Amino acid sequence: MTTLELPRRWRVPAWGLALLVAIVAELCYFTLTTRQFAGHGTGMLALSEQFAPTGVLAMGLAMVILTGNIDLSCGASASLAAVIAGTILEKGGSPVEAILLAVAVSTLFGLFNGVIVAYVGIDSLLVTLATQFIITSIATSVAGASPPFGFPGAFTLIGQGAVNDVPIALWVFLVIALAIIVTVGHTNVGRSMTLIGYNLRAAQYAGIPIRRTLTAVFTLCGAAAGVAGVLLAAYYNSAQPDIGTDLLLPAITAVILGGMDIFGGRGRIGEVVLAVFLLGYLSQGMLIEGDSSLSITMVTGLVLIGALVLKFAFERNLRQRLTARMQRLRTLSRGARS
Amino acid sequence: MTTAKNIETASPPRQDLRARPRWTWLVRRREILVSAAIVVVVAASTAVHPYFWSSSNIAFIFADSVVIAFLALGESFVMLGRGIDLSVGAIMGLSAIVVGFQIQNHNMTLLPAVLLGALVGIVLGLGNAVLVGVVRLPPIIATLGTLSVYSGLEFVVTNGNQVDTIPSSITNLGSDTVLPGIPVILLLTLPFVLVSALVLRHTRFGRSIYAVGDDAEAAYRAGIGVQRVLFATYAISGLLSGLGGVAFLIYTSGASSTTGVGDNLTAIAAAIIGGTALTGGVGGAVGALVGSVFLTVTLTALSFVHVADVWQPAGVGVLVLLAVVYDSRSRRGSVAWRPRKRQRQRQSQRGTR
Repeated sequence: MTTLELPRRWRVPAWGLALLVAIVAELCYFTLTTRQFAGHGTGMLALSEQFAPTGVLAMGLAMVILTGNIDLSCGASASLAAVIAGTILEKGGSPVEAILLAVAVSTLFGLFNGVIVAYVGIDSLLVTLATQFIITSIATSVAGASPPFGFPGAFTLIGQGAVNDVPIALWVFLVIALAIIVTVGHTNVGRSMTLIGYNLRAAQYAGIPIRRTLTAVFTLCGAAAGVAGVLLAAYYNSAQPDIGTDLLLPAITAVILGGMDIFGGRGRIGEVVLAVFLLGYLSQGMLIEGDSSLSITMVTGLVLIGALVLKFAFERNLRQRLTARMQRLRTLSRGARS
Repeated sequence: MTTAKNIETASPPRQDLRARPRWTWLVRRREILVSAAIVVVVAASTAVHPYFWSSSNIAFIFADSVVIAFLALGESFVMLGRGIDLSVGAIMGLSAIVVGFQIQNHNMTLLPAVLLGALVGIVLGLGNAVLVGVVRLPPIIATLGTLSVYSGLEFVVTNGNQVDTIPSSITNLGSDTVLPGIPVILLLTLPFVLVSALVLRHTRFGRSIYAVGDDAEAAYRAGIGVQRVLFATYAISGLLSGLGGVAFLIYTSGASSTTGVGDNLTAIAAAIIGGTALTGGVGGAVGALVGSVFLTVTLTALSFVHVADVWQPAGVGVLVLLAVVYDSRSRRGSVAWRPRKRQRQRQSQRGTR
């Protein structure tokens, strides 16, 4: 039996290029306006450890959104993981123990979400809305009246240390990002995710194990939330019960700004990574310039709206032009036949 | 050709059209079901703790649920049109701050305050409306963006200050009662709920919201201006959230830059518990009020049996899960919903009944 060698369709990642240009412009702007921003090149890298947790969270979310679902509970899961890791460390557990257990718990909650979405068949927005409330409660009650703080150096190294001037948190983010890019782009599971998001019916008829894939995606998102929570606890050297909840909206914003279609099936993980860097450096640069975190939220929202208005306007124009051309061709061929 | 039968007369009578038993409307109307649940919770709590059935506690429960009721009401309009508005809490907070500063610094009276709150709400709602109805962004993205913008604006407007001196002539509305157990603020809320219910049920505009939410394509073909209807729902949602901000001022007599941050999801939860489906076209205005009262009653009951406050969000989450699992409509179109098998089951059930 011969295998068909089809040429792989390769499209110019226009959105990714636009994001890249925006990042370069932004870095130049902040380097020129604020003295501390560049810091001989390493300062810029050191800033990245502040948004690495958001990036890890966004990676998990990107997969969920690619399948046409959403996970509102992953921010709360990150909080829970941070609180659990902190509590274990405070009780004298080893860092490895703390990290493993924290990630395991948030993975379990991801699995719970996935099972309810895939096997009970309830819309993921509703399920994760509910579990978000529940996980928040658990995190608050585990943290208790005085949340844990002051962890051993071996643990805080994950959030604050650096290897070759590159922060360890950034390494973690990049490794996870690479793993997910490969999974989504080059494996069967990744193809299934994309097809499920693009057309659920078609995926059903194609015999794709939809339930198993969805469960896996939500579980992976829970695991990513757990890693994000551990990074957060290590970076801040404390574990407040709302430490990760505030990352939910920035993470969703990064995924959407990265060109991921909110209805699923379209988008590239690599572009989401670029969007994470764009948003991260935007907020860090504004913080160094002396803006408050809430006005940064405002600018982030404006960037999101502006970028998507542009993107939608562009895509709609393109589609209209294409359909118009197709119709002209059809009328022409009809005229030639008669 | 003469042997061909008229298909309509030839086809057997359809099973679906057989009348359901009379009593099922009681269970099928979510408002009534939730009201019954409220009665059960109240009865159980009173049995455990007699103080639960006291006029002051009942008045507290009603007053406490008014703010969420306004937000859930606005959210219902949007959700009926198959949208979602994540920015209601931020609009509520911004309106509370703007109106609060006017009351605090310029001695504004109640009526102008309500009008100003409505104005702020409708302006902010128009932002969503333009993004969804004109630019046609997906609602979840558009309102996520405006949520960020509006909560940032809250901080900019407060400039680090907060509203904390509201004259008692206004805050009394939240604590005074007309009859034992019925606070004034509830009476001020009811007209809005009734008008919303009437608009949704009996006007052409209201019916077209349901039509758009049920099937936008069909609504478009039936001659409904889909984008115009969506535009209006987001503006109305903003208006009601703005009024919710005034209610918040009356009830809590203060506002800060973080007011309303966590209320977006609670409002959606209340609307869902009240029977409004996220998939559009199902639900109503009364459900929003009943849903938010049920939420408050249950949370108050939890604190009466000495459940710690940190578990209140978990209570909300469990209620949402229960409401959603109960509602089989929310599964339609999902992976696990297998139409053929279910339809077969349903038909066989009907046959035996």
